[in-house]
Amino acid sequence: MDCDAFRDEMMDLLYEEASPAVVRRLDEHQAACRACRDELSSFRRLRRDLASWRTPPDVGRAPRRLWSSRAYLAMAAALLLLVTGALAVRGSELRYEQGRFAFRLGRVLEPSAVSAALAAQEERHRREIDALRAAVAASSSEEATLRKVQRMIEESEARQATLVSAGLTRLEERTEARRQYDLAQVGAGLSYLDGKAGLQAARTTELMGHVLQASQKK
Amino acid sequence: MAPSDEELVEQFQNGDSSAFDVLVRRWERKIQGAIYRLVGPGEDVRDLSQETLLKAYRGLGTFKKEARFSSWLYQIALNVCRDRMRRGRGKSYVSFDELSETGETGSEPGPSALDLIEARDLSRQVAAAVSALPQEQREVVVLKEYQGLTFLEIAEALDVPLSTVKTRLYRGLGQLRQELVRQGIRGGAPVPAPTS
Repeated sequence: MDCDAFRDEMMDLLYEEASPAVVRRLDEHQAACRACRDELSSFRRLRRDLASWRTPPDVGRAPRRLWSSRAYLAMAAALLLLVTGALAVRGSELRYEQGRFAFRLGRVLEPSAVSAALAAQEERHRREIDALRAAVAASSSEEATLRKVQRMIEESEARQATLVSAGLTRLEERTEARRQYDLAQVGAGLSYLDGKAGLQAARTTELMGHVLQASQKK
Repeated sequence: MAPSDEELVEQFQNGDSSAFDVLVRRWERKIQGAIYRLVGPGEDVRDLSQETLLKAYRGLGTFKKEARFSSWLYQIALNVCRDRMRRGRGKSYVSFDELSETGETGSEPGPSALDLIEARDLSRQVAAAVSALPQEQREVVVLKEYQGLTFLEIAEALDVPLSTVKTRLYRGLGQLRQELVRQGIRGGAPVPAPTS
Protein backbone atom coordinates (compact mmCIF):
# COMPACT_ATOMS: atom_id res chain seq x y z
CA MET A 1 0.00 0.00 0.00
CA ASP A 2 1.32 3.46 -0.88
CA CYS A 3 1.57 5.27 2.46
CA ASP A 4 2.66 8.51 0.79
CA ALA A 5 -0.81 8.81 -0.67
CA PHE A 6 -2.13 9.17 2.89
CA ARG A 7 0.36 11.83 3.94
CA ASP A 8 -1.93 14.81 3.31
CA GLU A 9 -4.85 13.05 4.91
CA MET A 10 -2.69 12.28 7.93
CA MET A 11 -2.11 16.01 8.35
CA ASP A 12 -5.86 16.58 8.09
CA LEU A 13 -6.44 13.97 10.75
CA LEU A 14 -3.66 15.27 12.99
CA TYR A 15 -5.15 18.77 13.00
CA GLU A 16 -8.76 17.60 13.06
CA GLU A 17 -9.66 18.95 9.66
CA ALA A 18 -10.41 15.61 8.07
CA SER A 19 -13.90 14.91 6.79
CA PRO A 20 -15.67 11.81 8.13
CA ALA A 21 -14.95 10.01 4.87
CA VAL A 22 -11.24 10.73 5.16
CA VAL A 23 -11.22 9.65 8.80
CA ARG A 24 -12.84 6.36 7.87
CA ARG A 25 -10.48 5.73 4.98
CA LEU A 26 -7.41 6.50 7.08
CA ASP A 27 -8.63 4.34 9.94
CA GLU A 28 -8.93 1.47 7.53
CA HIS A 29 -5.43 2.09 6.25
CA GLN A 30 -3.90 2.36 9.72
CA ALA A 31 -5.53 -0.83 10.81
CA ALA A 32 -3.42 -2.57 8.20
CA CYS A 33 -0.34 -0.28 8.27
CA ARG A 34 1.71 -0.22 11.44
CA ALA A 35 4.18 2.39 10.10
CA CYS A 36 1.43 4.96 9.50
CA ARG A 37 -0.09 4.17 12.88
CA ASP A 38 3.24 4.73 14.60
CA GLU A 39 3.91 7.92 12.69
CA LEU A 40 0.55 9.45 13.52
CA SER A 41 0.98 8.70 17.21
CA SER A 42 4.53 10.14 17.19
CA PHE A 43 3.23 13.32 15.56
CA ARG A 44 0.59 13.59 18.28
CA ARG A 45 3.26 13.34 20.99
CA LEU A 46 5.35 15.87 19.08
CA ARG A 47 2.45 18.31 19.12
CA ARG A 48 2.28 18.05 22.90
CA ASP A 49 5.99 18.99 23.04
CA LEU A 50 5.51 21.86 20.60
CA ALA A 51 2.76 23.26 22.82
CA SER A 52 5.35 23.92 25.53
CA TRP A 53 6.68 26.89 23.57
CA ARG A 54 4.56 29.83 24.59
CA THR A 55 4.96 33.50 23.85
CA PRO A 56 6.23 35.77 26.64
CA PRO A 57 3.60 37.78 28.53
CA ASP A 58 4.68 41.07 26.95
CA VAL A 59 4.09 39.83 23.42
CA GLY A 60 0.70 41.03 22.36
CA ARG A 61 0.56 43.85 24.83
CA ALA A 62 -1.07 46.78 23.18
CA PRO A 63 1.58 49.07 21.69
CA ARG A 64 1.16 52.70 20.84
CA ARG A 65 -1.51 52.85 18.19
CA LEU A 66 -0.10 55.01 15.51
CA TRP A 67 -2.75 53.80 13.14
CA SER A 68 -5.71 54.68 15.34
CA SER A 69 -8.42 55.94 13.07
CA ARG A 70 -9.95 57.75 16.04
CA ALA A 71 -6.84 59.84 16.38
CA TYR A 72 -7.02 60.77 12.72
CA LEU A 73 -10.70 61.58 13.05
CA ALA A 74 -10.05 63.73 16.11
CA MET A 75 -7.36 65.67 14.27
CA ALA A 76 -9.59 66.10 11.25
CA ALA A 77 -12.46 67.30 13.44
CA ALA A 78 -10.21 69.80 15.21
CA LEU A 79 -8.98 71.12 11.88
CA LEU A 80 -12.53 71.43 10.58
CA LEU A 81 -13.59 73.33 13.70
CA LEU A 82 -10.63 75.66 13.33
CA VAL A 83 -11.39 76.42 9.71
CA THR A 84 -15.09 76.84 10.43
CA GLY A 85 -14.34 79.19 13.30
CA ALA A 86 -12.00 81.27 11.18
CA LEU A 87 -14.59 81.56 8.43
CA ALA A 88 -17.27 82.48 10.94
CA VAL A 89 -15.11 85.25 12.38
CA ARG A 90 -14.62 86.54 8.86
CA GLY A 91 -18.40 86.51 8.44
CA SER A 92 -18.46 83.83 5.76
CA GLU A 93 -21.48 81.62 5.34
CA LEU A 94 -22.68 78.52 3.52
CA ARG A 95 -26.21 78.58 2.14
CA TYR A 96 -28.45 76.06 0.48
CA GLU A 97 -30.86 77.81 -1.86
CA GLN A 98 -32.89 76.47 -4.73
CA GLY A 99 -31.21 73.09 -4.65
CA ARG A 100 -27.69 74.50 -4.71
CA PHE A 101 -25.05 75.25 -2.15
CA ALA A 102 -23.66 78.76 -2.11
CA PHE A 103 -20.55 79.72 -0.21
CA ARG A 104 -19.70 83.33 0.48
CA LEU A 105 -16.39 84.46 1.93
CA GLY A 106 -16.67 87.60 4.07
CA ARG A 107 -19.51 89.57 5.68
CA VAL A 108 -22.77 90.72 4.12
CA LEU A 109 -23.15 94.57 3.87
CA GLU A 110 -26.40 96.50 4.15
CA PRO A 111 -27.58 98.32 0.91
CA SER A 112 -26.94 101.75 2.40
CA ALA A 113 -23.45 100.71 3.40
CA VAL A 114 -22.87 99.38 -0.10
CA SER A 115 -23.98 102.74 -1.57
CA ALA A 116 -21.72 104.66 0.79
CA ALA A 117 -18.80 102.42 -0.02
CA LEU A 118 -19.41 102.85 -3.75
CA ALA A 119 -19.64 106.64 -3.38
CA ALA A 120 -16.42 106.76 -1.41
CA GLN A 121 -14.72 104.62 -3.99
CA GLU A 122 -15.95 106.87 -6.81
CA GLU A 123 -14.71 109.95 -4.98
CA ARG A 124 -11.33 108.36 -4.47
CA HIS A 125 -11.15 107.51 -8.15
CA ARG A 126 -12.08 111.09 -9.09
CA ARG A 127 -9.29 112.49 -6.92
CA GLU A 128 -6.81 110.13 -8.45
CA ILE A 129 -7.89 111.13 -12.00
CA ASP A 130 -7.56 114.84 -11.16
CA ALA A 131 -4.11 114.30 -9.79
CA LEU A 132 -3.15 112.49 -12.97
CA ARG A 133 -4.48 115.34 -15.12
CA ALA A 134 -2.52 117.95 -13.15
CA ALA A 135 0.58 115.92 -13.59
CA VAL A 136 0.03 115.75 -17.34
CA ALA A 137 -0.45 119.56 -17.54
CA ALA A 138 2.67 120.20 -15.53
CA SER A 139 4.69 118.02 -17.81
CA SER A 140 4.64 120.76 -20.58
CA SER A 141 6.84 123.15 -18.51
CA GLU A 142 9.37 120.52 -17.84
CA GLU A 143 11.29 121.37 -21.03
CA ALA A 144 11.88 125.00 -19.99
CA THR A 145 12.95 123.82 -16.57
CA LEU A 146 15.42 121.48 -18.14
CA ARG A 147 16.87 124.30 -20.26
CA LYS A 148 17.13 126.55 -17.22
CA VAL A 149 18.86 123.87 -15.21
CA GLN A 150 21.23 123.25 -18.12
CA ARG A 151 22.09 126.95 -18.29
CA MET A 152 22.69 127.13 -14.57
CA ILE A 153 24.98 124.14 -14.81
CA GLU A 154 26.95 125.77 -17.64
CA GLU A 155 27.32 129.03 -15.69
CA SER A 156 28.46 127.18 -12.69
CA GLU A 157 31.03 125.32 -14.73
CA ALA A 158 32.31 128.63 -16.22
CA ARG A 159 32.66 130.16 -12.78
CA GLN A 160 34.57 127.19 -11.62
CA ALA A 161 36.91 127.39 -14.64
CA THR A 162 37.60 131.11 -14.00
CA LEU A 163 38.34 130.52 -10.37
CA VAL A 164 40.72 127.69 -11.18
CA SER A 165 42.54 129.81 -13.80
CA ALA A 166 42.97 132.77 -11.42
CA GLY A 167 44.22 130.49 -8.72
CA LEU A 168 46.80 128.98 -11.02
CA THR A 169 48.01 132.42 -12.08
CA ARG A 170 48.43 133.57 -8.49
CA LEU A 171 50.28 130.41 -7.62
CA GLU A 172 52.67 130.92 -10.55
CA GLU A 173 53.41 134.49 -9.49
CA ARG A 174 54.07 133.54 -5.91
CA THR A 175 56.32 130.70 -7.00
CA GLU A 176 58.39 133.03 -9.23
CA ALA A 177 58.78 135.63 -6.46
CA ARG A 178 59.96 132.99 -4.07
CA ARG A 179 62.47 131.71 -6.62
CA GLN A 180 63.90 135.23 -7.12
CA TYR A 181 64.17 135.73 -3.38
CA ASP A 182 65.97 132.44 -2.92
CA LEU A 183 68.42 133.29 -5.75
CA ALA A 184 69.21 136.61 -4.11
CA GLN A 185 69.86 134.88 -0.81
CA VAL A 186 72.22 132.42 -2.47
CA GLY A 187 74.11 135.26 -4.26
CA ALA A 188 74.56 137.20 -1.03
CA GLY A 189 75.88 134.13 0.70
CA LEU A 190 78.44 133.51 -2.02
CA SER A 191 79.62 137.12 -1.92
CA TYR A 192 80.06 136.89 1.83
CA LEU A 193 82.12 133.76 1.44
CA ASP A 194 84.21 135.38 -1.29
CA GLY A 195 84.90 138.37 0.98
CA LYS A 196 85.99 136.22 3.90
CA ALA A 197 88.32 134.17 1.69
CA GLY A 198 90.00 137.36 0.26
CA LEU A 199 90.59 138.78 3.73
CA GLN A 200 92.14 135.55 4.93
CA ALA A 201 94.44 135.49 1.90
CA ALA A 202 95.59 139.07 2.56
CA ARG A 203 96.36 138.23 6.19
CA THR A 204 98.32 135.17 5.11
CA THR A 205 100.31 137.23 2.60
CA GLU A 206 101.07 139.84 5.25
CA LEU A 207 102.25 137.17 7.69
CA MET A 208 104.47 135.60 5.08
CA GLY A 209 106.06 139.02 4.40
CA HIS A 210 106.90 139.44 8.09
CA VAL A 211 108.49 135.96 8.17
CA LEU A 212 110.64 136.76 5.12
CA GLN A 213 111.81 140.03 6.58
CA ALA A 214 112.77 138.35 9.85
CA SER A 215 114.77 135.66 8.12
CA GLN A 216 116.65 138.17 5.99
CA LYS A 217 117.60 140.14 9.09
CA LYS A 218 119.25 137.00 10.54
CA MET B 1 -23.22 39.07 18.13
CA ALA B 2 -19.83 40.38 17.11
CA PRO B 3 -19.47 41.26 13.45
CA SER B 4 -17.26 39.01 11.35
CA ASP B 5 -13.97 40.18 9.91
CA GLU B 6 -15.53 40.46 6.48
CA GLU B 7 -18.41 42.59 7.83
CA LEU B 8 -15.93 44.88 9.54
CA VAL B 9 -13.93 45.16 6.33
CA GLU B 10 -17.08 46.15 4.49
CA GLN B 11 -17.91 48.76 7.14
CA PHE B 12 -14.41 50.18 6.81
CA GLN B 13 -14.66 50.33 3.05
CA ASN B 14 -17.99 52.15 3.44
CA GLY B 15 -16.31 54.86 5.45
CA ASP B 16 -16.51 53.60 9.03
CA SER B 17 -12.89 53.91 10.10
CA SER B 18 -13.63 52.67 13.61
CA ALA B 19 -14.20 49.20 12.16
CA PHE B 20 -10.46 48.92 11.71
CA ASP B 21 -9.94 49.47 15.43
CA VAL B 22 -12.09 46.42 16.12
CA LEU B 23 -10.04 44.38 13.67
CA VAL B 24 -6.82 45.54 15.29
CA ARG B 25 -8.04 44.59 18.75
CA ARG B 26 -9.07 41.21 17.41
CA TRP B 27 -5.86 40.37 15.56
CA GLU B 28 -3.07 42.36 17.12
CA ARG B 29 -2.03 39.79 19.71
CA LYS B 30 -2.12 36.90 17.26
CA ILE B 31 -0.03 38.79 14.74
CA GLN B 32 2.55 39.63 17.39
CA GLY B 33 2.68 35.98 18.42
CA ALA B 34 3.31 34.87 14.84
CA ILE B 35 6.00 37.48 14.32
CA TYR B 36 7.66 36.52 17.61
CA ARG B 37 7.90 32.91 16.51
CA LEU B 38 9.06 33.79 13.01
CA VAL B 39 11.78 36.32 13.79
CA GLY B 40 12.52 35.65 17.43
CA PRO B 41 12.21 37.87 20.49
CA GLY B 42 13.23 41.47 20.67
CA GLU B 43 12.01 44.96 19.97
CA ASP B 44 11.54 44.09 16.33
CA VAL B 45 8.39 42.15 17.20
CA ARG B 46 6.46 45.25 18.16
CA ASP B 47 7.86 47.28 15.29
CA LEU B 48 7.03 44.59 12.76
CA SER B 49 3.57 44.20 14.20
CA GLN B 50 2.90 47.91 13.86
CA GLU B 51 4.30 47.90 10.35
CA THR B 52 1.97 45.04 9.48
CA LEU B 53 -1.08 46.81 10.85
CA LEU B 54 -0.16 50.08 9.15
CA LYS B 55 0.16 48.32 5.82
CA ALA B 56 -3.17 46.65 6.44
CA TYR B 57 -4.75 50.02 7.21
CA ARG B 58 -3.40 51.49 3.99
CA GLY B 59 -4.43 48.52 1.88
CA LEU B 60 -7.78 47.70 3.42
CA GLY B 61 -9.61 50.21 1.27
CA THR B 62 -8.73 48.23 -1.84
CA PHE B 63 -8.93 44.75 -0.27
CA LYS B 64 -10.96 42.68 -2.74
CA LYS B 65 -12.23 40.00 -0.35
CA GLU B 66 -11.04 37.24 -2.65
CA ALA B 67 -9.33 35.75 0.40
CA ARG B 68 -10.18 35.81 4.07
CA PHE B 69 -9.12 38.89 5.99
CA SER B 70 -7.06 36.71 8.35
CA SER B 71 -5.15 35.15 5.44
CA TRP B 72 -4.55 38.58 3.94
CA LEU B 73 -3.33 39.97 7.27
CA TYR B 74 -0.98 37.04 7.87
CA GLN B 75 0.29 37.41 4.31
CA ILE B 76 1.24 41.01 5.09
CA ALA B 77 2.91 39.92 8.34
CA LEU B 78 4.88 37.19 6.55
CA ASN B 79 6.07 39.64 3.90
CA VAL B 80 7.09 42.13 6.57
CA CYS B 81 9.06 39.43 8.40
CA ARG B 82 10.69 38.23 5.18
CA ASP B 83 11.70 41.77 4.27
CA ARG B 84 13.19 42.29 7.71
CA MET B 85 15.16 39.05 7.56
CA ARG B 86 16.27 39.78 4.01
CA ARG B 87 17.62 43.14 5.08
CA GLY B 88 19.57 41.34 7.77
CA ARG B 89 18.24 43.53 10.51
CA GLY B 90 16.49 40.61 12.12
CA LYS B 91 17.62 37.06 12.08
CA SER B 92 15.52 34.03 12.58
CA TYR B 93 16.69 33.01 15.97
CA VAL B 94 15.42 32.50 19.45
CA SER B 95 17.30 33.75 22.48
CA PHE B 96 17.23 31.07 25.10
CA ASP B 97 18.25 33.54 27.77
CA GLU B 98 15.23 35.67 27.09
CA LEU B 99 12.97 32.66 27.09
CA SER B 100 14.29 31.63 30.47
CA GLU B 101 13.32 34.98 32.00
CA THR B 102 9.80 35.23 30.71
CA GLY B 103 8.23 32.67 32.96
CA GLU B 104 6.35 31.35 30.00
CA THR B 105 6.20 27.79 31.15
CA GLY B 106 3.00 25.94 31.83
CA SER B 107 0.35 27.96 33.59
CA GLU B 108 -1.24 25.08 35.44
CA PRO B 109 -1.40 25.80 39.17
CA GLY B 110 1.06 24.15 41.47
CA PRO B 111 3.78 22.71 39.25
CA SER B 112 6.81 21.44 41.07
CA ALA B 113 10.21 23.06 40.68
CA LEU B 114 11.35 20.07 38.70
CA ASP B 115 8.33 20.40 36.40
CA LEU B 116 9.12 24.08 35.84
CA ILE B 117 12.74 23.39 35.02
CA GLU B 118 11.84 20.59 32.65
CA ALA B 119 9.15 22.65 30.97
CA ARG B 120 11.53 25.57 30.56
CA ASP B 121 14.17 23.36 29.03
CA LEU B 122 11.63 21.80 26.70
CA SER B 123 10.36 25.25 25.70
CA ARG B 124 13.88 26.38 24.83
CA GLN B 125 14.60 23.27 22.84
CA VAL B 126 11.35 23.51 20.92
CA ALA B 127 11.98 27.18 20.17
CA ALA B 128 15.46 26.41 18.93
CA ALA B 129 14.23 23.51 16.82
CA VAL B 130 11.48 25.57 15.19
CA SER B 131 13.82 28.47 14.50
CA ALA B 132 16.24 26.04 12.84
CA LEU B 133 13.65 24.94 10.29
CA PRO B 134 13.90 26.18 6.71
CA GLN B 135 11.83 29.34 6.30
CA GLU B 136 9.06 27.74 4.23
CA GLN B 137 8.55 24.94 6.75
CA ARG B 138 8.84 27.29 9.72
CA GLU B 139 6.13 29.56 8.32
CA VAL B 140 3.73 26.66 7.88
CA VAL B 141 4.49 25.17 11.29
CA VAL B 142 4.00 28.52 13.03
CA LEU B 143 0.78 29.34 11.21
CA LYS B 144 -0.68 25.89 11.79
CA GLU B 145 0.65 24.80 15.15
CA TYR B 146 0.73 28.12 16.97
CA GLN B 147 -1.68 30.38 15.12
CA GLY B 148 -4.29 27.72 14.47
CA LEU B 149 -5.02 28.71 10.90
CA THR B 150 -6.80 26.20 8.69
CA PHE B 151 -4.92 24.66 5.81
CA LEU B 152 -6.99 26.75 3.42
CA GLU B 153 -6.13 29.99 5.25
CA ILE B 154 -2.44 29.08 5.19
CA ALA B 155 -2.62 28.30 1.47
CA GLU B 156 -4.22 31.72 0.89
CA ALA B 157 -1.67 33.50 3.06
CA LEU B 158 1.25 31.83 1.32
CA ASP B 159 -0.43 31.76 -2.08
CA VAL B 160 0.44 28.11 -2.63
CA PRO B 161 -1.72 25.01 -3.23
CA LEU B 162 -3.20 23.12 -0.29
CA SER B 163 -1.07 20.07 -0.99
CA THR B 164 2.09 22.20 -0.79
CA VAL B 165 1.06 23.43 2.64
CA LYS B 166 0.52 19.89 3.90
CA THR B 167 3.78 18.65 2.40
CA ARG B 168 5.74 21.47 4.03
CA LEU B 169 4.02 20.78 7.33
CA TYR B 170 4.72 17.05 7.12
CA ARG B 171 8.39 17.66 6.41
CA GLY B 172 8.64 20.34 9.05
CA LEU B 173 7.10 18.10 11.72
CA GLY B 174 9.40 15.27 10.68
CA GLN B 175 12.45 17.49 11.04
CA LEU B 176 11.27 18.80 14.41
CA ARG B 177 10.73 15.29 15.66
CA GLN B 178 14.21 14.32 14.53
CA GLU B 179 15.81 17.38 16.15
CA LEU B 180 14.04 16.90 19.48
CA VAL B 181 14.98 13.25 19.58
CA ARG B 182 18.58 14.25 18.89
CA GLN B 183 18.37 16.55 21.91
CA GLY B 184 17.18 13.70 24.06
CA ILE B 185 13.48 14.48 24.08
CA ARG B 186 11.77 11.20 23.45
CA GLY B 187 8.18 12.48 23.35
CA GLY B 188 8.01 12.63 19.59
CA ALA B 189 10.10 9.60 18.95
CA PRO B 190 8.31 6.85 17.09
CA VAL B 191 7.20 4.19 19.49
CA PRO B 192 6.47 0.85 17.95
CA ALA B 193 2.89 -0.05 18.48
CA PRO B 194 2.34 -3.32 20.29
CA THR B 195 1.61 -6.13 17.94
CA SER B 196 -1.71 -7.67 18.51
